Amino acid sequence: MTTDWTPAALSRDIPAASAAPGQLGETDLAIWRSASGRIAAWSDRCPHRGMRLSHGFVRGERLSCIYHGWGYGEGGQCVRIPAHPELTPPEAIKVPVFAAAEASGVVWVADGTPAGAPPEFPGFEGFRSLRIHAPATVLARAFGGAGHVIEGTLGPCAVVALIQPLPGNVSALHLLAPEGAGPATLDALSLAAEALRRTAEAQAEQAEEETA
Amino acid sequence: MIFYDYILSPSCYRVRLFAAVIGRRLDLRAVDFHPGQEHRSDAMLALNPAGTLPVLKDDGIVLTESTAILTYLAAHDAPAWLGDDTPVMRARVAQWLAFAQRLTDSAGAARAHDMLLAPGDIDALRAEATTALRELEAALSAARRRGESFLAGNRPTIADIACFPHVALAPDGGLPLDPYPSIRLWMRALRGLEGFIEMPGIHRLHELLPEPGPMPDVIRKERA
Ligand SMILES: N[C@H](CCC(=O)N[C@@H](CS)C(=O)NCC(=O)O)C(=O)O
Ligand code: FES
Repeated sequence: MTTDWTPAALSRDIPAASAAPGQLGETDLAIWRSASGRIAAWSDRCPHRGMRLSHGFVRGERLSCIYHGWGYGEGGQCVRIPAHPELTPPEAIKVPVFAAAEASGVVWVADGTPAGAPPEFPGFEGFRSLRIHAPATVLARAFGGAGHVIEGTLGPCAVVALIQPLPGNVSALHLLAPEGAGPATLDALSLAAEALRRTAEAQAEQAEEETA
Repeated sequence: MIFYDYILSPSCYRVRLFAAVIGRRLDLRAVDFHPGQEHRSDAMLALNPAGTLPVLKDDGIVLTESTAILTYLAAHDAPAWLGDDTPVMRARVAQWLAFAQRLTDSAGAARAHDMLLAPGDIDALRAEATTALRELEAALSAARRRGESFLAGNRPTIADIACFPHVALAPDGGLPLDPYPSIRLWMRALRGLEGFIEMPGIHRLHELLPEPGPMPDVIRKERA
Protein backbone atom coordinates (compact mmCIF):
# COMPACT_ATOMS: atom_id res chain seq x y z
CA MET A 1 0.00 0.00 0.00
CA THR A 2 1.42 3.37 -0.98
CA THR A 3 1.01 6.53 1.02
CA ASP A 4 0.25 8.46 -2.17
CA TRP A 5 -3.12 10.07 -2.71
CA THR A 6 -5.61 8.00 -4.72
CA PRO A 7 -8.61 9.66 -6.41
CA ALA A 8 -11.70 7.88 -5.04
CA ALA A 9 -14.76 10.01 -5.87
CA LEU A 10 -15.94 13.40 -7.04
CA SER A 11 -16.90 15.97 -4.42
CA ARG A 12 -20.18 16.74 -6.21
CA ASP A 13 -21.31 13.12 -5.85
CA ILE A 14 -21.16 13.23 -2.05
CA PRO A 15 -23.33 16.14 -0.88
CA ALA A 16 -23.42 17.26 2.76
CA ALA A 17 -24.88 14.75 5.21
CA SER A 18 -24.48 11.72 2.94
CA ALA A 19 -22.28 8.65 2.61
CA ALA A 20 -21.07 6.77 -0.46
CA PRO A 21 -19.09 3.60 -1.10
CA GLY A 22 -15.48 3.95 -2.26
CA GLN A 23 -12.32 1.95 -2.64
CA LEU A 24 -8.65 2.22 -1.77
CA GLY A 25 -6.82 -0.70 -3.33
CA GLU A 26 -8.43 -3.80 -1.85
CA THR A 27 -10.03 -1.87 0.99
CA ASP A 28 -13.74 -0.98 0.88
CA LEU A 29 -14.37 2.56 2.09
CA ALA A 30 -17.30 4.57 3.36
CA ILE A 31 -16.67 8.09 2.12
CA TRP A 32 -18.95 10.53 3.85
CA ARG A 33 -19.55 14.21 4.33
CA SER A 34 -20.79 15.69 7.58
CA ALA A 35 -23.58 18.27 7.76
CA SER A 36 -20.95 20.99 8.08
CA GLY A 37 -19.18 19.71 4.94
CA ARG A 38 -16.20 17.79 6.28
CA ILE A 39 -15.15 14.83 4.13
CA ALA A 40 -13.91 11.57 5.67
CA ALA A 41 -12.90 8.11 4.43
CA TRP A 42 -13.36 5.18 6.78
CA SER A 43 -13.33 1.44 6.52
CA ASP A 44 -16.70 0.31 5.16
CA ARG A 45 -17.23 -2.29 7.91
CA CYS A 46 -19.17 -1.43 11.03
CA PRO A 47 -17.21 -2.73 14.06
CA HIS A 48 -20.45 -4.13 15.49
CA ARG A 49 -21.59 -6.71 12.92
CA GLY A 50 -19.85 -5.69 9.73
CA MET A 51 -22.71 -3.86 7.97
CA ARG A 52 -21.48 -1.47 5.29
CA LEU A 53 -21.18 1.98 6.81
CA SER A 54 -21.62 3.49 3.35
CA HIS A 55 -25.28 2.44 3.69
CA GLY A 56 -25.44 4.45 6.89
CA PHE A 57 -26.82 7.88 7.57
CA VAL A 58 -25.28 11.13 8.66
CA ARG A 59 -26.65 13.33 11.39
CA GLY A 60 -24.59 16.39 12.15
CA GLU A 61 -20.94 15.41 12.45
CA ARG A 62 -21.65 11.73 13.00
CA LEU A 63 -22.02 8.69 10.74
CA SER A 64 -24.45 6.05 11.99
CA CYS A 65 -24.79 2.46 10.92
CA ILE A 66 -28.10 1.61 9.25
CA TYR A 67 -28.31 -1.72 11.06
CA HIS A 68 -28.39 -1.05 14.81
CA GLY A 69 -27.65 2.63 14.73
CA TRP A 70 -24.25 2.72 16.38
CA GLY A 71 -22.94 6.23 15.86
CA TYR A 72 -19.33 7.13 15.05
CA GLY A 73 -17.67 10.54 15.32
CA GLU A 74 -14.25 12.17 15.11
CA GLY A 75 -11.50 9.66 14.31
CA GLY A 76 -13.96 6.80 13.80
CA GLN A 77 -14.68 6.57 17.53
CA CYS A 78 -17.98 4.95 18.49
CA VAL A 79 -19.85 7.58 20.47
CA ARG A 80 -23.33 6.13 20.73
CA ILE A 81 -25.00 2.72 21.04
CA PRO A 82 -28.77 3.34 20.87
CA ALA A 83 -29.65 0.10 22.69
CA HIS A 84 -27.55 1.36 25.67
CA PRO A 85 -27.94 5.13 25.60
CA GLU A 86 -26.43 5.50 29.10
CA LEU A 87 -23.20 3.73 28.11
CA THR A 88 -20.05 5.56 27.01
CA PRO A 89 -18.81 3.19 24.28
CA PRO A 90 -15.34 1.74 24.99
CA GLU A 91 -12.48 3.45 23.19
CA ALA A 92 -11.63 0.17 21.47
CA ILE A 93 -14.78 0.40 19.34
CA LYS A 94 -13.33 2.43 16.52
CA VAL A 95 -13.63 2.38 12.73
CA PRO A 96 -10.26 2.38 10.92
CA VAL A 97 -9.80 5.83 9.41
CA PHE A 98 -7.98 6.82 6.22
CA ALA A 99 -6.66 10.18 5.08
CA ALA A 100 -9.11 12.16 2.92
CA ALA A 101 -8.76 15.54 1.24
CA GLU A 102 -10.42 17.44 -1.60
CA ALA A 103 -8.83 19.33 -4.46
CA SER A 104 -10.32 20.50 -7.79
CA GLY A 105 -13.59 18.76 -6.95
CA VAL A 106 -11.96 15.37 -6.38
CA VAL A 107 -11.97 13.36 -3.16
CA TRP A 108 -8.52 11.86 -2.62
CA VAL A 109 -7.80 9.15 -0.08
CA ALA A 110 -4.64 7.58 1.33
CA ASP A 111 -3.49 4.98 3.80
CA GLY A 112 -1.14 6.78 6.16
CA THR A 113 -0.07 10.40 5.88
CA PRO A 114 0.95 11.52 2.40
CA ALA A 115 3.85 13.97 2.18
CA GLY A 116 1.88 16.80 0.57
CA ALA A 117 -1.59 17.93 -0.41
CA PRO A 118 -3.36 16.21 -3.32
CA PRO A 119 -2.83 17.77 -6.76
CA GLU A 120 -4.79 20.77 -8.00
CA PHE A 121 -5.88 21.21 -11.61
CA PRO A 122 -6.62 24.92 -11.97
CA GLY A 123 -9.47 25.67 -14.37
CA PHE A 124 -10.96 22.16 -14.07
CA GLU A 125 -13.77 20.72 -11.99
CA GLY A 126 -15.22 17.27 -11.33
CA PHE A 127 -17.49 16.04 -14.13
CA ARG A 128 -18.34 12.32 -13.97
CA SER A 129 -17.00 9.12 -12.42
CA LEU A 130 -17.38 6.00 -14.55
CA ARG A 131 -16.65 2.38 -13.71
CA ILE A 132 -14.81 0.63 -16.51
CA HIS A 133 -14.33 -3.12 -16.85
CA ALA A 134 -10.76 -2.81 -18.06
CA PRO A 135 -7.40 -2.61 -16.27
CA ALA A 136 -5.96 0.87 -15.70
CA THR A 137 -3.20 0.31 -18.27
CA VAL A 138 -5.71 -0.61 -20.99
CA LEU A 139 -7.90 2.37 -20.14
CA ALA A 140 -4.93 4.76 -20.24
CA ARG A 141 -3.87 3.40 -23.61
CA ALA A 142 -7.42 3.69 -25.00
CA PHE A 143 -7.33 7.33 -23.92
CA GLY A 144 -4.01 7.76 -25.71
CA GLY A 145 -1.83 8.21 -22.66
CA ALA A 146 -0.14 6.43 -19.81
CA GLY A 147 -0.15 6.56 -16.03
CA HIS A 148 -2.95 7.48 -13.67
CA VAL A 149 -3.19 11.22 -14.27
CA ILE A 150 -3.65 12.17 -17.92
CA GLU A 151 -4.26 15.64 -19.28
CA GLY A 152 -5.62 15.48 -22.81
CA THR A 153 -8.63 15.94 -25.03
CA LEU A 154 -11.80 13.89 -24.97
CA GLY A 155 -14.56 14.58 -27.49
CA PRO A 156 -15.26 18.32 -27.52
CA CYS A 157 -12.86 19.59 -24.84
CA ALA A 158 -9.73 19.44 -22.77
CA VAL A 159 -10.03 17.14 -19.76
CA VAL A 160 -8.08 15.71 -16.88
CA ALA A 161 -8.54 11.94 -16.61
CA LEU A 162 -7.80 10.43 -13.20
CA ILE A 163 -7.58 6.66 -13.43
CA GLN A 164 -8.09 4.64 -10.30
CA PRO A 165 -7.11 0.95 -10.51
CA LEU A 166 -9.63 -1.29 -8.74
CA PRO A 167 -9.47 -4.97 -7.82
CA GLY A 168 -10.35 -7.50 -10.52
CA ASN A 169 -9.08 -5.73 -13.66
CA VAL A 170 -11.54 -2.90 -13.17
CA SER A 171 -10.87 0.85 -13.15
CA ALA A 172 -12.66 3.99 -12.16
CA LEU A 173 -12.34 6.98 -14.45
CA HIS A 174 -12.78 10.28 -12.61
CA LEU A 175 -13.16 12.89 -15.29
CA LEU A 176 -12.54 16.61 -14.83
CA ALA A 177 -13.97 19.12 -17.32
CA PRO A 178 -13.14 22.78 -17.91
CA GLU A 179 -14.85 25.05 -15.38
CA GLY A 180 -17.89 26.75 -16.84
CA ALA A 181 -18.20 24.50 -19.93
CA GLY A 182 -21.68 24.80 -21.45
CA PRO A 183 -24.40 22.13 -21.35
CA ALA A 184 -23.96 21.08 -25.00
CA THR A 185 -20.22 20.61 -24.50
CA LEU A 186 -20.77 18.56 -21.35
CA ASP A 187 -23.42 16.39 -23.01
CA ALA A 188 -20.97 15.67 -25.83
CA LEU A 189 -18.19 14.98 -23.33
CA SER A 190 -20.42 12.51 -21.52
CA LEU A 191 -21.04 10.64 -24.79
CA ALA A 192 -17.30 10.67 -25.55
CA ALA A 193 -16.60 9.17 -22.12
CA GLU A 194 -19.12 6.39 -22.78
CA ALA A 195 -17.45 5.72 -26.13
CA LEU A 196 -14.02 5.61 -24.46
CA ARG A 197 -15.41 3.06 -22.02
CA ARG A 198 -16.70 0.87 -24.85
CA THR A 199 -13.30 1.03 -26.57
CA ALA A 200 -11.34 0.20 -23.41
CA GLU A 201 -13.67 -2.67 -22.50
CA ALA A 202 -13.52 -4.12 -26.02
CA GLN A 203 -9.71 -3.96 -25.92
CA ALA A 204 -9.60 -5.58 -22.48
CA GLU A 205 -11.89 -8.35 -23.67
CA GLN A 206 -9.75 -8.92 -26.74
CA ALA A 207 -6.55 -9.05 -24.67
CA GLU A 208 -8.20 -11.57 -22.36
CA GLU A 209 -9.22 -13.78 -25.28
CA GLU A 210 -5.70 -13.68 -26.66
CA THR A 211 -4.15 -14.83 -23.39
CA ALA A 212 -6.86 -17.45 -22.82
CA MET B 1 -59.70 -1.01 -5.60
CA ILE B 2 -58.60 -4.61 -5.06
CA PHE B 3 -54.87 -5.23 -5.42
CA TYR B 4 -53.47 -8.74 -5.80
CA ASP B 5 -50.08 -8.50 -4.24
CA TYR B 6 -46.91 -10.38 -3.39
CA ILE B 7 -44.66 -8.73 -0.82
CA LEU B 8 -41.32 -9.69 -2.43
CA SER B 9 -42.32 -8.67 -5.96
CA PRO B 10 -40.68 -5.43 -7.15
CA SER B 11 -43.51 -4.96 -9.67
CA CYS B 12 -46.10 -5.17 -6.89
CA TYR B 13 -44.01 -2.84 -4.75
CA ARG B 14 -44.16 -0.20 -7.51
CA VAL B 15 -47.90 -0.03 -6.97
CA ARG B 16 -47.88 -0.25 -3.16
CA LEU B 17 -45.24 2.47 -3.01
CA PHE B 18 -47.09 4.79 -5.36
CA ALA B 19 -50.41 4.25 -3.59
CA ALA B 20 -48.72 5.10 -0.28
CA VAL B 21 -47.10 8.25 -1.65
CA ILE B 22 -50.37 9.61 -3.11
CA GLY B 23 -52.46 8.41 -0.17
CA ARG B 24 -54.62 5.94 -2.11
CA ARG B 25 -56.02 3.07 -0.03
CA LEU B 26 -55.80 -0.34 -1.72
CA ASP B 27 -57.71 -3.42 -0.68
CA LEU B 28 -54.72 -5.81 -0.56
CA ARG B 29 -55.08 -9.51 -1.40
CA ALA B 30 -51.86 -11.40 -0.66
CA VAL B 31 -51.18 -14.06 -3.32
CA ASP B 32 -48.95 -16.99 -2.36
CA PHE B 33 -46.63 -16.56 -5.34
CA HIS B 34 -43.72 -18.49 -3.86
CA PRO B 35 -43.79 -21.35 -3.05
CA GLY B 36 -47.58 -21.68 -3.50
CA GLN B 37 -47.72 -20.75 -7.24
CA GLU B 38 -51.12 -19.28 -6.48
CA HIS B 39 -50.75 -16.80 -9.35
CA ARG B 40 -51.25 -19.80 -11.64
CA SER B 41 -54.44 -20.97 -9.93
CA ASP B 42 -57.65 -21.04 -11.97
CA ALA B 43 -59.01 -18.08 -10.04
CA MET B 44 -55.93 -15.94 -10.74
CA LEU B 45 -55.61 -17.07 -14.38
CA ALA B 46 -59.24 -16.08 -14.88
CA LEU B 47 -58.21 -12.56 -13.83
CA ASN B 48 -54.86 -12.53 -15.63
CA PRO B 49 -54.26 -15.17 -18.31
CA ALA B 50 -50.56 -14.21 -18.32
CA GLY B 51 -50.22 -15.57 -14.81
CA THR B 52 -48.21 -12.64 -13.49
CA LEU B 53 -48.55 -10.28 -10.57
CA PRO B 54 -49.58 -7.59 -9.85
CA VAL B 55 -53.25 -7.37 -10.77
CA LEU B 56 -55.56 -4.46 -9.96
CA LYS B 57 -59.33 -4.76 -10.10
CA ASP B 58 -61.60 -1.76 -9.93
CA ASP B 59 -65.14 -1.01 -11.10
CA GLY B 60 -65.22 -2.15 -14.72
CA ILE B 61 -61.50 -2.72 -15.17
CA VAL B 62 -58.80 -5.35 -14.58
CA LEU B 63 -55.18 -4.25 -15.08
CA THR B 64 -52.25 -6.67 -15.25
CA GLU B 65 -49.34 -4.37 -16.11
CA SER B 66 -47.82 -2.47 -13.19
CA THR B 67 -47.07 0.58 -15.35
CA ALA B 68 -50.73 0.67 -16.49
CA ILE B 69 -51.77 0.43 -12.84
CA LEU B 70 -49.51 3.39 -11.98
CA THR B 71 -51.06 5.36 -14.86
CA TYR B 72 -54.56 4.53 -13.64
CA LEU B 73 -53.89 5.47 -10.02
CA ALA B 74 -52.22 8.73 -11.05
CA ALA B 75 -55.04 9.69 -13.44
CA HIS B 76 -57.59 8.79 -10.75
CA ASP B 77 -56.04 10.51 -7.72
CA ALA B 78 -52.87 12.45 -8.49
CA PRO B 79 -52.64 13.60 -12.14
CA ALA B 80 -49.49 15.68 -11.56
CA TRP B 81 -47.60 12.36 -11.34
CA LEU B 82 -48.44 11.66 -15.01
CA GLY B 83 -45.99 14.41 -16.00
CA ASP B 84 -48.30 15.84 -18.65
CA ASP B 85 -46.99 19.44 -18.46
CA THR B 86 -45.40 19.57 -21.92
CA PRO B 87 -45.09 17.22 -24.92
CA VAL B 88 -41.45 16.62 -23.98
CA MET B 89 -42.19 15.75 -20.37
CA ARG B 90 -45.04 13.44 -21.35
CA ALA B 91 -42.83 11.64 -23.85
CA ARG B 92 -40.03 11.30 -21.32
CA VAL B 93 -42.45 9.63 -18.91
CA ALA B 94 -43.51 7.18 -21.65
CA GLN B 95 -39.87 6.53 -22.51
CA TRP B 96 -38.90 5.68 -18.93
CA LEU B 97 -42.02 3.58 -18.34
CA ALA B 98 -40.91 1.41 -21.26
CA PHE B 99 -37.36 1.42 -19.90
CA ALA B 100 -38.76 0.08 -16.61
CA GLN B 101 -39.77 -3.05 -18.52
CA ARG B 102 -36.15 -3.45 -19.66
CA LEU B 103 -35.15 -3.34 -16.00
CA THR B 104 -37.72 -6.03 -15.17
CA ASP B 105 -36.40 -8.22 -17.98
CA SER B 106 -32.71 -7.79 -17.06
CA ALA B 107 -32.02 -6.77 -13.44
CA GLY B 108 -35.34 -8.29 -12.30
CA ALA B 109 -34.62 -11.57 -14.10
CA ALA B 110 -31.08 -11.67 -12.65
CA ARG B 111 -32.52 -11.25 -9.16
CA ALA B 112 -35.17 -13.94 -9.79
CA HIS B 113 -32.36 -16.21 -10.98
CA ASP B 114 -30.25 -15.62 -7.86
CA MET B 115 -33.00 -15.51 -5.25
CA LEU B 116 -35.80 -17.72 -6.60
CA LEU B 117 -33.63 -20.03 -8.72
CA ALA B 118 -35.49 -18.95 -11.85
CA PRO B 119 -33.94 -20.17 -15.11
CA GLY B 120 -31.89 -17.79 -17.27
CA ASP B 121 -28.44 -17.05 -18.69
CA ILE B 122 -27.16 -15.08 -15.70
CA ASP B 123 -24.14 -13.54 -17.48
CA ALA B 124 -26.30 -12.31 -20.35
CA LEU B 125 -28.92 -10.94 -17.94
CA ARG B 126 -26.28 -9.08 -15.93
CA ALA B 127 -24.74 -7.67 -19.11
CA GLU B 128 -28.15 -6.36 -20.24
CA ALA B 129 -28.82 -4.95 -16.79
CA THR B 130 -25.42 -3.23 -16.73
CA THR B 131 -26.19 -1.59 -20.08
CA ALA B 132 -29.50 -0.36 -18.69
CA LEU B 133 -28.00 0.90 -15.42
CA ARG B 134 -25.28 2.77 -17.33
CA GLU B 135 -27.94 4.42 -19.49
CA LEU B 136 -29.86 5.43 -16.39
CA GLU B 137 -26.71 6.78 -14.71
CA ALA B 138 -25.84 8.85 -17.79
CA ALA B 139 -29.38 10.25 -17.99
CA LEU B 140 -29.49 11.12 -14.30
CA SER B 141 -26.07 12.77 -14.39
CA ALA B 142 -27.32 14.88 -17.34
CA ALA B 143 -30.46 15.69 -15.34
CA ARG B 144 -28.29 16.88 -12.44
CA ARG B 145 -26.41 19.18 -14.83
CA ARG B 146 -29.78 20.72 -15.70
CA GLY B 147 -30.60 21.07 -12.02
CA GLU B 148 -33.20 18.29 -12.10
CA SER B 149 -33.39 15.34 -9.70
CA PHE B 150 -35.85 13.07 -11.50
CA LEU B 151 -36.26 11.24 -14.80
CA ALA B 152 -38.80 13.48 -16.51
CA GLY B 153 -38.05 16.83 -14.89
CA ASN B 154 -37.76 18.60 -11.59
CA ARG B 155 -40.43 16.58 -9.81
CA PRO B 156 -41.01 12.83 -9.52
CA THR B 157 -43.48 11.09 -11.86
CA ILE B 158 -44.79 7.55 -12.24
CA ALA B 159 -41.68 6.89 -14.38
CA ASP B 160 -39.41 7.28 -11.34
CA ILE B 161 -41.67 5.02 -9.29
CA ALA B 162 -41.66 2.38 -12.07
CA CYS B 163 -37.87 2.31 -12.40
CA PHE B 164 -36.97 2.56 -8.71
CA PRO B 165 -37.65 -0.96 -7.31
CA HIS B 166 -35.63 -3.03 -9.77
CA VAL B 167 -32.75 -0.58 -9.55
CA ALA B 168 -32.74 -0.56 -5.75
CA LEU B 169 -32.85 -4.38 -5.64
CA ALA B 170 -30.25 -4.90 -8.39
CA PRO B 171 -27.59 -5.99 -5.84
CA ASP B 172 -29.75 -9.06 -5.11
CA GLY B 173 -29.01 -10.15 -8.69
CA GLY B 174 -25.25 -9.66 -8.40
CA LEU B 175 -25.33 -6.08 -9.72
CA PRO B 176 -23.70 -3.75 -7.16
CA LEU B 177 -24.77 -0.12 -7.35
CA ASP B 178 -21.45 1.29 -6.12
CA PRO B 179 -20.44 2.45 -9.64
CA TYR B 180 -23.44 4.75 -10.07
CA PRO B 181 -23.25 8.02 -8.07
CA SER B 182 -26.17 9.73 -9.82
CA ILE B 183 -28.39 6.68 -9.37
CA ARG B 184 -27.51 6.74 -5.68
CA LEU B 185 -28.56 10.39 -5.32
CA TRP B 186 -31.78 9.77 -7.28
CA MET B 187 -32.68 6.82 -5.05
CA ARG B 188 -31.94 9.00 -2.06
CA ALA B 189 -34.42 11.60 -3.29
CA LEU B 190 -37.08 8.91 -3.82
CA ARG B 191 -36.42 7.24 -0.47
CA GLY B 192 -37.01 10.61 1.15
CA LEU B 193 -40.44 11.16 -0.44
CA GLU B 194 -43.27 11.97 1.92
CA GLY B 195 -45.26 8.78 2.51
CA PHE B 196 -42.47 6.47 1.27
CA ILE B 197 -42.91 2.84 2.35
CA GLU B 198 -40.33 0.06 2.48
CA MET B 199 -40.17 -3.46 1.12
CA PRO B 200 -37.69 -6.14 2.23
CA GLY B 201 -34.31 -4.95 0.91
CA ILE B 202 -35.32 -1.31 0.42
CA HIS B 203 -35.26 1.07 3.35
CA ARG B 204 -36.38 4.63 3.72
CA LEU B 205 -34.01 7.48 4.31
CA HIS B 206 -32.60 7.93 7.81
CA GLU B 207 -34.67 5.22 9.33
CA LEU B 208 -33.43 2.61 11.74
CA LEU B 209 -34.57 -0.95 11.34
CA PRO B 210 -36.12 -2.51 14.39
CA GLU B 211 -33.58 -4.54 16.45
CA PRO B 212 -34.53 -8.09 15.45
CA GLY B 213 -34.60 -9.41 11.90
CA PRO B 214 -31.43 -9.03 9.86
CA MET B 215 -31.50 -6.87 6.77
CA PRO B 216 -31.41 -8.78 3.48
CA ASP B 217 -28.15 -6.93 2.88
CA VAL B 218 -26.53 -8.67 5.80
CA ILE B 219 -27.80 -12.03 4.67
CA ARG B 220 -26.27 -11.27 1.30
CA LYS B 221 -22.90 -10.43 2.86
CA GLU B 222 -22.91 -13.61 4.91
CA ARG B 223 -23.80 -15.72 1.91
CA ALA B 224 -21.01 -14.23 -0.21
N1 LIG C 1 -46.97 -7.57 -16.18
C1 LIG C 1 -45.73 -7.26 -15.52
C2 LIG C 1 -45.35 -8.48 -14.70
C3 LIG C 1 -44.26 -8.24 -13.73
C4 LIG C 1 -43.64 -9.55 -13.34
O1 LIG C 1 -42.79 -10.08 -14.07
N2 LIG C 1 -44.06 -10.10 -12.21
C5 LIG C 1 -43.49 -11.32 -11.73
C6 LIG C 1 -43.39 -11.26 -10.23
S1 LIG C 1 -42.21 -9.99 -9.73
C7 LIG C 1 -44.39 -12.47 -12.10
O2 LIG C 1 -45.58 -12.39 -11.90
N3 LIG C 1 -43.86 -13.56 -12.67
C8 LIG C 1 -44.67 -14.70 -13.01
C9 LIG C 1 -43.87 -15.94 -13.08
O3 LIG C 1 -42.64 -15.83 -13.15
O4 LIG C 1 -44.47 -17.03 -13.04
C10 LIG C 1 -45.89 -6.03 -14.65
O5 LIG C 1 -46.96 -5.82 -14.14
O6 LIG C 1 -44.92 -5.28 -14.49
S1 FES D 1 -23.77 -3.71 12.40
FE1 FES D 1 -23.48 -1.61 12.60
S2 FES D 1 -24.59 -1.12 14.37
FE2 FES D 1 -24.81 -3.26 14.24
